[in-house]
Amino acid sequence: MPSRAELRKPLETALRVAIVASLAFALWKSIAPVNAGDRTIRSTSQALNVGIERALTHPGDAAIELAMTTTPSPLQRDQLVALRRTGMSVRWSGEVSPLAVEVIRDRDPLEGAQIRVVGAKGAVVLRDSAGVLDTLREGTSTLGVGALVGSVQASDAHTSAIAAIPAATPRRAVLVLGRADWESKFVMSALNESGWLVRARIPSAPNVDVHDDGILPIDTSRYDAVIALDTTAADYATAIVRFVEQGGGLVVSGGALGVGALRAIAPATASARIPGRILLAEDTVTRRDLPFTPLGSVRTDAVSLERQPAGTAIAARRVENGRVLALAYDESWRWRMLGGNSGLSAHRDWWSHLVASVSAERADPVAAGISAVPRVALVNALGPSSALTSAGQNPIDNRLPLWLLVLPIAAALVEIASRRFRGER
Amino acid sequence: MTDFVFATAQYESGDWDSAPLVPANVIDSIARYTSIEVAPSGVIVPLSSSSLFRYPLTYLTGHLPVRFSATERVNLQRYAERGGMLFVDDHNHDIDGTFHKTAIEELTRVYGPIKPIPNTHPLYKSFFAFEDGPPTTSHELNGWGDNLVHKTLSGVERNGRLVLLYSSKDYSSEWNYHPENKKFLSVDNTRFAVNLVVYALTR
Repeated sequence: MPSRAELRKPLETALRVAIVASLAFALWKSIAPVNAGDRTIRSTSQALNVGIERALTHPGDAAIELAMTTTPSPLQRDQLVALRRTGMSVRWSGEVSPLAVEVIRDRDPLEGAQIRVVGAKGAVVLRDSAGVLDTLREGTSTLGVGALVGSVQASDAHTSAIAAIPAATPRRAVLVLGRADWESKFVMSALNESGWLVRARIPSAPNVDVHDDGILPIDTSRYDAVIALDTTAADYATAIVRFVEQGGGLVVSGGALGVGALRAIAPATASARIPGRILLAEDTVTRRDLPFTPLGSVRTDAVSLERQPAGTAIAARRVENGRVLALAYDESWRWRMLGGNSGLSAHRDWWSHLVASVSAERADPVAAGISAVPRVALVNALGPSSALTSAGQNPIDNRLPLWLLVLPIAAALVEIASRRFRGER
Repeated sequence: MTDFVFATAQYESGDWDSAPLVPANVIDSIARYTSIEVAPSGVIVPLSSSSLFRYPLTYLTGHLPVRFSATERVNLQRYAERGGMLFVDDHNHDIDGTFHKTAIEELTRVYGPIKPIPNTHPLYKSFFAFEDGPPTTSHELNGWGDNLVHKTLSGVERNGRLVLLYSSKDYSSEWNYHPENKKFLSVDNTRFAVNLVVYALTR
């Protein structure tokens, strides 16, 4: 009867065969050609860098499939585009956040900016190159800021969008059209003091204008906005309408709301005038105390921006490329003069803000950068989402399986131990 | 929308009402030469009252010493900050007179240093053209006052606009007649008042 030691000899032989076979399999696996179906790299957002690295270092791979939950970074996106251009099939699938961010400079001389965010899922953290700016809670979409540095990044729980800060385009003049009265004077004063370059045509007698130093042509290369305070604007009504259609801003109030051509583009019409509040000695005037011509017949495409008990006070609408703002106040100067300690600055800031709102810096899609809307950039770069051959799987790695390493080592150890117990070397 | 109202300043010291016909004459000229909507009569506004701020151009004159009260000073400072313009005319046309000396002291306390205005100032071209600066008055060499023809007016500017205009030329005497009598003048001597009002309304 064979001893137990002799019985282990076939086992040892079997182990040696297994070692050689697994090494041979590993060798074959590493050098054998792979059929197309097996040469697909599958990856997720979390392991995207591994997948891309694999694809870049194994040019023989036929396809890369991405199960996306977040958008790729601009670098990753560029790498995928480059892979596609080498002939590799790049497909993606998944619910990618539609987050988008836009930075629009204010035309206000203070040069602030508005950051607008859409498509966010939950709270959004906004930061520029200098650090965190603020967090927008869900449902909030706009943040007004003063100075910005570098670029602006908006991040929700899933993705980040990055927008460049557009360079400020040169501010142009504001044209004030009104008769010689206190409203014209103090509108000009308020805008001048706020840093606007103001030009004006102030008729003081038939054929006698003050400040009329070559105001024509009224176009967007010369003016950011026109302020029409009364019927004296009628002389330029056609030019003003064309200016607005080209993208200029118009603030219209008082008698100018009754000028035919301007009425046709105004967001509302003027109704009967209501006198201002009767002031007692030492009373101070607020905007609500001013004489008021409520705006009626507000157009369906217009927005009421300020309402008072007697009616709409400010309404706005877009007209082709431009914006028009209608005001129910035609004696705002009283607010400046009789508005107490804050009246002067309030009146100044209010007028500056009104003009800035109609002459806002246009969004610059080039300056915004290709990461301002990551999902759009992803679709532009890789095409629309498509079904994957095995969507949802975790990164597929064509590296040798671990068992090919463990098996020969374990078999070798068992075989050596078995021989040593038999007394052989 | 509102008409221009010519306002005469009433101050607690002195004779603020020494030229009662000036407002009517200026109003007549504004209505005669311009399309500015002007109220047919002027108002008298106390410098110590907040009513001052309803009239962004105010005319002040007198013969007697001027001493502003604390309230009047504060009101005038705020008036200037907000863009109001004060036109002060020495009814004595006398730079050694009590009105001039005291008014300059008081106005300097309120407005800071008062400096001559160049005769190329926009004020002199805002409506009629006065190439040589402020028009001379018939009262400057009438044997009263300092018997000087003052070449310039003085004033203080803020943000590029006059907030104080000071005259030693005695326009208060020059313009202090009934408008009906203008027809006897070969050249209307109130034309500079039109420049003053148009400047205040448009600058």
